[in-house]
Amino acid sequence: MNKVITINLNGVAYQLEEGGYDALRAYLENAAHRLEGNPDKDEIITDIEQSVADKFRALLGSYKTVVNAREVAAVIAEMGPVEDDSSAAAGQDKASTGRAAQSSEAAAAGDKSDGAGPRRLYRIYDGAMISGVCNGMAAYVNIDVTIVRLAFLLMTFLWGTGVLVYLVMAFIVPEAKTSAEKAAASGAAATAQEFIKRAKAGYYDGMRTFHDKQSRRAWKRRFKQDMRSWKFGFQKQMHEQSQQWEQKWQGHWSWTSPPIIGPVFIAPFLSLLLLAVFVLMIYAMYLLVTTHAVFGVVMPATMPLWVGLLILFILFQVVAWPIKALRYSCYYPVAHGGCGGGSFGGLFGSLIGLFFLGFGIWMLDRHVPEFHEWMVQLPGLLHRLIDTLKSWFV
Amino acid sequence: MSLEEKFTAIRKGLLEFLVLKIISANQVYAADILKELNATEFATQEGTLYPLLSKMRREELVDYEWKESESGPPRKYYELTAKGREALRETQDYWQKISGTVKNLGQK
Repeated sequence: MNKVITINLNGVAYQLEEGGYDALRAYLENAAHRLEGNPDKDEIITDIEQSVADKFRALLGSYKTVVNAREVAAVIAEMGPVEDDSSAAAGQDKASTGRAAQSSEAAAAGDKSDGAGPRRLYRIYDGAMISGVCNGMAAYVNIDVTIVRLAFLLMTFLWGTGVLVYLVMAFIVPEAKTSAEKAAASGAAATAQEFIKRAKAGYYDGMRTFHDKQSRRAWKRRFKQDMRSWKFGFQKQMHEQSQQWEQKWQGHWSWTSPPIIGPVFIAPFLSLLLLAVFVLMIYAMYLLVTTHAVFGVVMPATMPLWVGLLILFILFQVVAWPIKALRYSCYYPVAHGGCGGGSFGGLFGSLIGLFFLGFGIWMLDRHVPEFHEWMVQLPGLLHRLIDTLKSWFV
Repeated sequence: MSLEEKFTAIRKGLLEFLVLKIISANQVYAADILKELNATEFATQEGTLYPLLSKMRREELVDYEWKESESGPPRKYYELTAKGREALRETQDYWQKISGTVKNLGQK
């Protein structure tokens, strides 16, 4: 009896024996690694996955639903090691070591961290409780999420530090949106390895709920997973198509334009700026609620309070959007294909962040007299600040 | 060192030329190219062919279109571009030249 792992190859699920899964993962990881720097990397990986899928399909029938480890090894051997022709210098030694590399691929199946990409701190929404801060940190330092959550809870008992740190992080740490970012969050190399890992995680999750006899939830999760993989495939396709277009149009000029590398050191500054704008908005909201006026602009008496708050929030979004976009481009200088749908997620994320920050400030204002006093003094401070700013410009 | 080993680099270098030739005959799917090559001394594998095809597409020698297949998902069918046909003609001329040289050298 052998454990079976379900994987997704270009939108179709295949069941592999565990040993076969490890070998295939190692093969695809190795392929991705060798194609590093190739502009068509994603496309080639997709082609290879498609070809593997075709070979699997030929092996399966109505009475045979699982590809065993031996068959996976045979398919991999048939595929041959991936050689990138564009790096011509390394080509020859690759050809000679091709066979040796193949056997070492199977051996390397065990260790994960090999060939890993750069690790970055992101918020990860998949499986998050609030905004994915703990989830992202857990992925970053490679420990269980529960431990991180407990640590935050403990910190909360220390004069609410946990909440404060959480809020600041929810605000400053960018959300992992694209698959490449999600991979970078746990330091994994992008593409094939990453999606197979996610498919595996999804499978285990499903099994766990099924064990609890909550079959409905299991089904729902499975459905979600399928949707996600479909989305992933779609994004990949879109990415591919956009690349094709780009090449068609830019082909006349030279295709050697180097990727624009954003000055990464600006990112923290932008985060601070964003935080400042955010605090300013919260303060404006506070003023609106307490005095029905913002920096001297009195709210019309006929306008309900929530409209005023909404206007402030929208104003904030308008101001924050370019900063966010800039910051995003700093973190991710290379143009990625799928960036649609992210703006709604960002709005949602900031709404949650807003709620928690507002809640935190309200709690502090109510229960900490020093903070209340400081809040009361803040208008004067702010007016002085505005006056000095004015004196610089006038 | 066997002849096969000695000519590894040459076979590798000729692969692009042969792929151009195969595609020039008619629209083909990657697996068809492999099948045709694998019947010859130039047998190769997906791991080599896919990166090569993508490089050739980047250089605008070939292009592909998606076509439905009766079994499974749509497939990419490759065809030569005008530039690809030109490259094939040039390569063919060059090949004629060097194979002529190989034949004639050393003969009196």
